[in-house]
Amino acid sequence: MTSLRLLMKEIQNLKPIPAVVTQLLSAVDSPGSSMEDIANVIQYDPAITASLLKTCNCAYFGLKVPAESIKDAVNMLGIDQVTELALIKSGAQALSGRHQGYGLEQGEMWKYSVSSAMITKIVAAKLGLKNKNTLFTSALIKDIGKIVLEKHVADASEKITHLVKNKKYSFQEAEKKVLGIDHAELGAMIAKIWKFSPRMIKIIRHHHLADESRVSDREIAAIYLGDCICMMMGSGVGADGLAYRFKDQAMKSLGVTATDILMMIAEFGINLQKVDAFLQMA
Amino acid sequence: MKQIVGVADMKVSNKTEESIITYSLGSCIGLVVYDPVVKVGGILHYMLPESSIDTEKAAARPYMFADSGIPRLFKTAYALGAVKHRMMVYVAGGAEILDQGGFFNIGKRNYMALKKLFFKNNVIIHKQDVGGNTNRTVRLEIATGEIYVKTSGAKEVKI
Repeated sequence: MTSLRLLMKEIQNLKPIPAVVTQLLSAVDSPGSSMEDIANVIQYDPAITASLLKTCNCAYFGLKVPAESIKDAVNMLGIDQVTELALIKSGAQALSGRHQGYGLEQGEMWKYSVSSAMITKIVAAKLGLKNKNTLFTSALIKDIGKIVLEKHVADASEKITHLVKNKKYSFQEAEKKVLGIDHAELGAMIAKIWKFSPRMIKIIRHHHLADESRVSDREIAAIYLGDCICMMMGSGVGADGLAYRFKDQAMKSLGVTATDILMMIAEFGINLQKVDAFLQMA
Repeated sequence: MKQIVGVADMKVSNKTEESIITYSLGSCIGLVVYDPVVKVGGILHYMLPESSIDTEKAAARPYMFADSGIPRLFKTAYALGAVKHRMMVYVAGGAEILDQGGFFNIGKRNYMALKKLFFKNNVIIHKQDVGGNTNRTVRLEIATGEIYVKTSGAKEVKI
């Protein structure tokens, strides 16, 4: 078992996600915010502003006149696109890097996170869900617990692998059994310390739907489905592979058919170039 | 030189200094073909079984689907001198999430689409590494036809 005190100490040593993320999330999901309010939040973070303008002006977005300020970018690309770019840039600081405990080479976890956020956006649109920025960000950082847990997963890899390969455990169940905590629980603890909204903390905590009573929460189920599709797509999937549980019940609750999933995968396939453009921000 | 096959992509080569690689096949399928006489080989990385679910997307990205991608892989290899009866065929991927059964099992559906097409066209699979819960990376050496498979966190293995 891993001591909670040790894990808490490791969380305190993590480089926190930039403050702009929480400010941005409260601005975008508040009905009273204007485009100007949102541009103002972003432009006070010079590193994110510079990187965001560079990405806006890359070939993928095809702007005829280069964007020179966040306000230009908002006018040319729209607030949703600029918000996504700012969230992605902020998340990159926490999730890029190498995570050997999960068999992930440099940048692979980041690739998975960006792909998962993109897929969740497709799922949210299909289901007509509203809090799209919260969902996008939750999908982007839901595996943050792995950053801290990876060292412990590496130390216990033999036991975890044995349970998954021979005892039919899911990877998350094996983490919990061997380490006393899994990456979703740990991720929620990190999100709490980083002062994310209670909603996001809950989504991160339940993103694998280990507790089936959460199935009726459409936002959690949407994040879960986005994660399942991302696992199936394989990009940035680590040593835990696809060893998580698929819940038919979640599909029933969302009213999603197998054909709907095929169509969402095709939609993602068409947008792969966008993922590449986003990844270059890291 | 390494030729990288992206997702919903295909590469065919007859350059013996090249290797072709495709990364991270989850439920997607990596189909490898190789003619040892002319040393022509290729890899297709497709995501979905049938293009009929969205013909517009299939026209834009034909390598996304089994039924529009597989014939293109064979035809491109033929154009470089490969001959059907000499071709070695290897299939990898088609992994599934735990408890993912029935119509929701996209990995199995991807594999079945390939089997259906091969049955119709008398194509035999020489080796395969499909199903399970792991994701795979596949590499083909054009000079020798040797194929290597790697799963995340493990070493590359020659098959």
